[in-house]
Amino acid sequence: MIKFWKKRAENSIATRHLKFDKDLEEIKKELKSKIGKKFAGSLAIRMVSSGSCNACEAECNALLNPYYDLERLGIHFVASPRHADAMLLSGVVGVNMYHHILDAYHQMPQPAYIITLGDCPLLEGTFEKSVAIKGAKSLDLPIFHHIAGCPPEPKEIIEGLLTFLKHLP
Amino acid sequence: MKQDRLIARFALEHSNSFEIITLFDGKVQREKLDKDNPVLKSISSRYTTATWFERKIRDDFDIKIVNAYDNRPLIHHERFPSVALMKKEFMNNEIKFSEYKPYKYESVKGDGVFEVAVGPIHAGIIEPGHFQFSQEGERILHLEVRHFYTYRGIEKVLEGKTLMEAKKMIERISGNESIAYQLAWFDIVMQASQNGYDEKLKKYHCMLLEFERLIHHLTDIGFIPNDAGFGAALSFASMLAEDTRVFLKELCGHRFGFGAVSFDVKDYDKDKIVEFLDDLDSRVRWFEDWIVDIPSLWDRLDTTGVLTAQKAQKYGVVGVVARSSGVKIDRRDGDFYKKYGFVLQSEEIGDVASRFKLRIKEIYNSISMVRNFIDSTCRVDKPIGFKDGEYTSFVESSIGEIFMFIKLKNGFIERFYARDPSFINWQALYLMMEKDIIADFPLINKSCDLSYAGSDL
Ligand code: SF4
Repeated sequence: MIKFWKKRAENSIATRHLKFDKDLEEIKKELKSKIGKKFAGSLAIRMVSSGSCNACEAECNALLNPYYDLERLGIHFVASPRHADAMLLSGVVGVNMYHHILDAYHQMPQPAYIITLGDCPLLEGTFEKSVAIKGAKSLDLPIFHHIAGCPPEPKEIIEGLLTFLKHLP
Repeated sequence: MKQDRLIARFALEHSNSFEIITLFDGKVQREKLDKDNPVLKSISSRYTTATWFERKIRDDFDIKIVNAYDNRPLIHHERFPSVALMKKEFMNNEIKFSEYKPYKYESVKGDGVFEVAVGPIHAGIIEPGHFQFSQEGERILHLEVRHFYTYRGIEKVLEGKTLMEAKKMIERISGNESIAYQLAWFDIVMQASQNGYDEKLKKYHCMLLEFERLIHHLTDIGFIPNDAGFGAALSFASMLAEDTRVFLKELCGHRFGFGAVSFDVKDYDKDKIVEFLDDLDSRVRWFEDWIVDIPSLWDRLDTTGVLTAQKAQKYGVVGVVARSSGVKIDRRDGDFYKKYGFVLQSEEIGDVASRFKLRIKEIYNSISMVRNFIDSTCRVDKPIGFKDGEYTSFVESSIGEIFMFIKLKNGFIERFYARDPSFINWQALYLMMEKDIIADFPLINKSCDLSYAGSDL
């Protein structure tokens, strides 16, 4: 382990380049204070992938890497919809996921917010409504917020979450 | 007797018949079936992985399969109506859900044996799929992998489009393998337009593909130890993966390479690539040196999730999983790649540790290949017309061999079919569970890191 600590001392905090980091820091600060006010410091998100290409999920995973380190701000991706404040829905809502999304949503404690992630769910990108693709609107659930992009980059997701928090009642 | 490797088995519809194309390594079999009463004899007793192909053919085209030991639906889930979507006569843009029909999972029965159902929605940030375990306490007796939750009907949607129109969707079949799918598409574009593949352009495309492989492998060498409870590796490796992704975006304009494979090479700074690769190389070496020294980690990785070479061959698995079990197959294994430094990497034992070590070896090889692929910019003319016919292509993605088939008729796609490496490897996953406990499942699954979206299409 000694190797690790030596490296750790050399590397210190992960940074990319200054401008990017500075922007990100600002957003993070605001995000943290919003989460503090609206969710008592902890926002629990349930990720549901419903027929995506997996790039949207990969970007969500990237949010947890040391550059973005989202958990530090009190945002957690949780393992059960019963623990979740919000559902992050990616993918086209395919025929074989349709009912599972409804099931997950109905397990969530109210108020439960749905945030759609990427161009897929609202069928704004490459995928259109077609025989096996239903789209999120067909679920007839309230969609509270949308984060666009194909896929939205980690920074855009963080910004999107901030706007989500700002729009909350 | 050594058995041929089954690559794919899929159906084509003609005006008066169906045709089943069965592709083996080195030979193709074509079989015509009567359109009014199509019946296909199963080959699954000899080629186990034919099972999913045949179940898919039955769901897609309503072709009866005889002599199969598994007659359950594959794509038609509980509320999927019994309609053969892929038939030309089916032209609706929507299907109505039908009554709930339960699916009968494979299970082991006995005193004290119980079942554990996992999915389709998982605990982490991953794609949907279902895993049904039969358990004797901690020990896994059997696992059934059930997928096609991410089914998007891409094969059907692409019909009637031109090759150029299809590009955007093809590059979004599987986000982690986007560049590989684009390369398969491009190869077919080159064949159909009868243009030669400019070597400089090919070098650029192959460079992008190696970047994609680097990102995928770097991500995995973090996630595998993380699933064995060693989170520090993920923190370190996810930084490497992120840096490489950022670099890929600088190079081609997109973090996943969407839209990157086209008819020209964007100008890039050669020195910057070399500098980046030098830095990456030294950091991966540091990572390797650090991680080989953590005995408690290797205690988990060694001997877990073994797939023997014999079974790997019997199931015809491909890619990282095959090479980790000592089956030396790689679509890059040819003159072109060898000229630019490709060396086939392999391991012997086929456990999680082998798959982890193989990824590290492949990272080094990809780094040296990228160095050799660096060249000047170029531009080729966009093809003006495409010749009708049937085209196939193979590309080694970061997971394994992708097979793509496109039939063009009057300039439009008459049939599109793609077999992701995961489609084969998923069917062999249960073999790796035989000696392990359920807590090892996430680790074993991650070590293979297969695609759901690619396999489900
Ligand atoms: S929005 Fe784009 S990146 Fe996200 S799942 Fe859909 S196709 Fe993939």
